Amino acid sequence: MNMQTKHTADATTVEEGLAIAEAQDAQYNDEMATETAMANTLLTPRFYTTDFDELDAIDVTPVREEWDKLIAQMESDPNKGHFKKNEDWDHVDWDNMEPALKKEFIDFLISSCTAEFSGCVLYKEMKRRGNNKDITQLFQLMARDEARHAGFINDALREAGLRVNLGFLTQKKKYTYFRPKFIYYATYLSEKIGYARYITIFRHLEAHPEHRFHPIFKWFQEWCNDEFSHGEAFALLMKTDPKLTSGRNVWWIKFFLTAVYSTMYVRDHQRPAFHEALGVDPDWYAHEVFTKTSELSKQIFPITVDIDHPKWQANLEKMQKANADLALAKQQTGPMAFLKRMGASARAATAFASLYFIPAKQHKVPAVTRMEPVY
Amino acid sequence: MGWLTKDIEHAPCTVEISHKFESLHAHVRFNNGAVIYPGDEVKVKGPEIMAPFGEIVIEDRDAIIFRASKLERLWTRLTGDLEVMELCEFSFSEEVTL
Repeated sequence: MNMQTKHTADATTVEEGLAIAEAQDAQYNDEMATETAMANTLLTPRFYTTDFDELDAIDVTPVREEWDKLIAQMESDPNKGHFKKNEDWDHVDWDNMEPALKKEFIDFLISSCTAEFSGCVLYKEMKRRGNNKDITQLFQLMARDEARHAGFINDALREAGLRVNLGFLTQKKKYTYFRPKFIYYATYLSEKIGYARYITIFRHLEAHPEHRFHPIFKWFQEWCNDEFSHGEAFALLMKTDPKLTSGRNVWWIKFFLTAVYSTMYVRDHQRPAFHEALGVDPDWYAHEVFTKTSELSKQIFPITVDIDHPKWQANLEKMQKANADLALAKQQTGPMAFLKRMGASARAATAFASLYFIPAKQHKVPAVTRMEPVY
Repeated sequence: MGWLTKDIEHAPCTVEISHKFESLHAHVRFNNGAVIYPGDEVKVKGPEIMAPFGEIVIEDRDAIIFRASKLERLWTRLTGDLEVMELCEFSFSEEVTL
């Protein structure tokens, strides 16, 4: 498997692309399939509904000037053609990759692909159900980007011998419900923290290219610029209704900030081999990403969480430990294991509450929302 | 639709699956204007649709919509938000160990 093959992105015609893909398929043999035990990974996106009438009622008039600029920029599609492999796509030696790293890296690729794919499903649904032209246009553009990212990651997965299975549509799937404002808070933060995560890794690897164990990291800069634009769009959506970022909703904002930051901290610490290979200390990384995300979210949120408070780091560590203990206790049976599970859950909840009740930092939200990616 | 009873509807639909390098996506569109509400379940009838790499497959199929009962719809509206963190992307799965 150490031979270099021609890539589908090199193809000049559809026929050539298909022939290359077919040849690649034949090349990935059963041995590799068993080895990874995930050769056919069923993508399992979730399906959501929301209050589509409320979405239709959004009026972007108060932010029209900024809105039109952003949409025009997204329509001009600066990243079209970027997500193609070129000579910068180095050969990946999957066979000799350390097994722990390989597992974690494949988890990274599959999770990222599923997330992009789910984003695409959600945005497309909003586009389809909506009747407000501004809103449907935005969601169409975002769905385009997400599908493009998913395709790019899928290609990296194929190179690793993994095939995603899109057969989920013929399985029974349940539609859950989210309130529009929760979608704004969660996706806004998700897009902005995604930008901060990718750009921090990109800059780190610029300075330490010896740690770049896979070429996909070279594409992170333009990739995260898409995430950045999507975040801008959600910021403008929230700006159209001042109620969304004032009064009782500030408590919701604080909840989402705390939940997103602490979940990221816990998940990253569960992937030590990945971070070691990148030469990144997950504690340093978390602080960097929180700092950047907080700075960005000041564009629309009137508070930021106090990440330099002495209780902040201490409780993140407690939460991470409780989570690890909980997973361990879940593998055991019997009354002792039950008590351990209860104990670990209680500790995780207490740690989260302690993080949540650290006094927030207040600040004034600027009149103009739009920003440019500068990190 | 009753408080506790579920209705079953059939709807013609178009399924589009793109397994291309430029775009990986999959969508279902109901062709009779059927609308999905919280708690409903949808199943596209027929064998699994697999698009080979590099291709878009578009097929007309029948879908079964299992309508949630009134109570279930209300419950989904009230509790769906609890899962909202799913919308956030963290690069990794939630598995503690792999």
